[in-house]
Amino acid sequence: MDWRKVWVVARHEYLTNVRRAGFIIMTAIVPVLGIVVLLFGAFFAGQARQLGAFFEKQFDVGDKAIGVVDESGYFSHILPAYQADFVPYGSEGEAEAALETEEVSKVLIIGEDYLETGRVVVMSMGSGFGSAVVSDSATVRAFFVDHLLVGQVDPALQERAADPMDVESRVISSGGETQGEGPWGFVFTFVVPYFLAIFLVMSIFVSSGYLLQSVSEEKESRVVEIVVSSVRPVELMTGKVAGLGALGLTQVLVWVISVMAFSGGAVALLAVAGAVSIPARVLILGVVYYLLGYVLYAILMAGVGALGSTAQESQQLAGIFSFFAAVPYMLSSFLFTNPNMLIARILSFFPLTAPTMMMLRLPLAEVPWVDVAGSIVVLLLSIPAALWVGAKLFRVGLLIYGKRPTLREIWWILRGDGERG
Amino acid sequence: MMIIQVQDLVKRYGDFVAVDHLSFEVDRGEIFGLLGPNGAGKTTTIRVIMDILQPDAGSVTVLGQPPGRAKAQVGYLPEERGLYRKLKVMDNLVYLAELKGMSRPAARERATGLLERIQLEDWASRKVKDLSQGMQQRLQLIASLVHDPEVLFLDEPFQGLDPINVERVKGFVAGLHQEGKTIVLSSHQMNLVEALCDRILLINRGQAVLYGPLAEIKREHAPNAIRVRVSHVPTDLPGVVEVEPDDGAFNLALAEGASPQEVLRALVDRDMQVQSFEVSPVPLEDIFVAVVSGEEEEDDGLA
Repeated sequence: MDWRKVWVVARHEYLTNVRRAGFIIMTAIVPVLGIVVLLFGAFFAGQARQLGAFFEKQFDVGDKAIGVVDESGYFSHILPAYQADFVPYGSEGEAEAALETEEVSKVLIIGEDYLETGRVVVMSMGSGFGSAVVSDSATVRAFFVDHLLVGQVDPALQERAADPMDVESRVISSGGETQGEGPWGFVFTFVVPYFLAIFLVMSIFVSSGYLLQSVSEEKESRVVEIVVSSVRPVELMTGKVAGLGALGLTQVLVWVISVMAFSGGAVALLAVAGAVSIPARVLILGVVYYLLGYVLYAILMAGVGALGSTAQESQQLAGIFSFFAAVPYMLSSFLFTNPNMLIARILSFFPLTAPTMMMLRLPLAEVPWVDVAGSIVVLLLSIPAALWVGAKLFRVGLLIYGKRPTLREIWWILRGDGERG
Repeated sequence: MMIIQVQDLVKRYGDFVAVDHLSFEVDRGEIFGLLGPNGAGKTTTIRVIMDILQPDAGSVTVLGQPPGRAKAQVGYLPEERGLYRKLKVMDNLVYLAELKGMSRPAARERATGLLERIQLEDWASRKVKDLSQGMQQRLQLIASLVHDPEVLFLDEPFQGLDPINVERVKGFVAGLHQEGKTIVLSSHQMNLVEALCDRILLINRGQAVLYGPLAEIKREHAPNAIRVRVSHVPTDLPGVVEVEPDDGAFNLALAEGASPQEVLRALVDRDMQVQSFEVSPVPLEDIFVAVVSGEEEEDDGLA
């Protein structure tokens, strides 16, 4: 291996791609996002409560009044606090007419046997989605509790029963330190690292995508034949993987620094206590998975990029890898509730999903050390195997012009029957 | 002095033998023609010499070294060619030179000189895709020698060129020859090979069919025929088996073993006014077609 040539290739790849508009935009997105959030936060810092109320309202029953047809007797006199939002009707017919003229958005029909059965009919126009919202609505819940308990219990108890909890998250890690204190704590401890993980995963695919593009463009433009007459394919591949890896690291570095600066800025600007941001373990392991994941994908992309006869064709071939990468994403809503669920653990030991899966799990919980060690070992073992396959496909694929090799031919290449002219 | 030596080279793709026990040498400073029909094994042979493919058997040395060690001294214009279209002209040249082991400043200097030579110096900071087809072809040629190689392989350098650019490239190649570069030229255009090459190798189905100095090959393959301009042709000329009038002259076919000298002597002895007398020249193309189709017939006969 001629390392000087590897260096020439790496530098060339880095410098050509660092100027791409796509790369610059993607790199800038995190700092810009941070600045926007920070400005937004600073602007609304004094109005956090109203802001919360505003968001709550967006997911609540809406701003139109709700009709009430009461047969139980508990809701005949609507309390003053609710009179703006709830309108009583004498009969179902009246209420239905009001619904049709859009005076009210929904109608609650409370039966005679309400106290025994709790049965409430919700009438709404169009979809049945309205009734689902009603049953989850804090306002509707408070309406029921207040009317049931009025005059029966102490007003403070009544108020607490209507709004029983004001949650503040405090997570204790195994090391005993407290994470996620204060209203912003959750954001810094979980949301920011989680999004950073998502960005890291994206960076892997963007960088290895550039590799795919770089290889297939060289092949499509035929410049590759001159290139391989000057450097050995393994030198070319190593140079490309290194150069574009450095490109990806540049991106990650910009992101990490801007997240740090963002949380630092938040501490200063918003007077947030204990903006822990990213735990060192998550950060270090994140970078380890980033590197391992990138190298694995980059090598495979180089091999696949060399197989297609046009950039478009190579991209189609690479689709199979994108699918594997996407699997952990598809599970991300389940991951939030249980980052250590069985399927997540299994996918952490499968080389093509391990980097993504682990990077998504790390910020969410204490991942068992078996998973960490196991997935790293799996990746370390997969990389030489990928190198063997990737380098072979790369070397042979580069010189097959004008047609995409069939699966049979790929098998033939891997078996090592020799190159094709 | 010998600069490239190919001995008993064999290259197979699966069951297909692309190059079959091929041997030849290229001498320093010559223009060597590598000819053959499509699929004869020319590109495969070149790729082995360029260290892009590994031979299955036989040996190749370039400047006395294995091909992998001589990369910096060899330039290559492949048949399947192209450049980085989105990259600037100068960046293309510098990168390709660096890949051959040249330093950046030296590459820049050499590239500037070469761009001047092909009148593209004003385009150095433009992207390749902005250049016209003809400009790109000229640029491609200098990209193969930007690292100042001793040996240059040109695979179909005239392919797709208009007559003006063919002349330009021809002049450029002749200029390189004068500078003392060794050039291996592979082309279908026999007239150009004839005009430029000192020696040739004709390959068919991976095997050498003709090999040696061009003049010698042409002499050996001259048809036994004479073209003579006289008032009439006597019927009893020695060795003449057929007479065919052609545009005020006569084409005489000779029997095997008959000598044109004898015919001339007989004409002079008869005191005839000979206005012109020439042993019919043979274009390389005819030799090429005759040899290649002769081989095919032989095969058909055996089959």
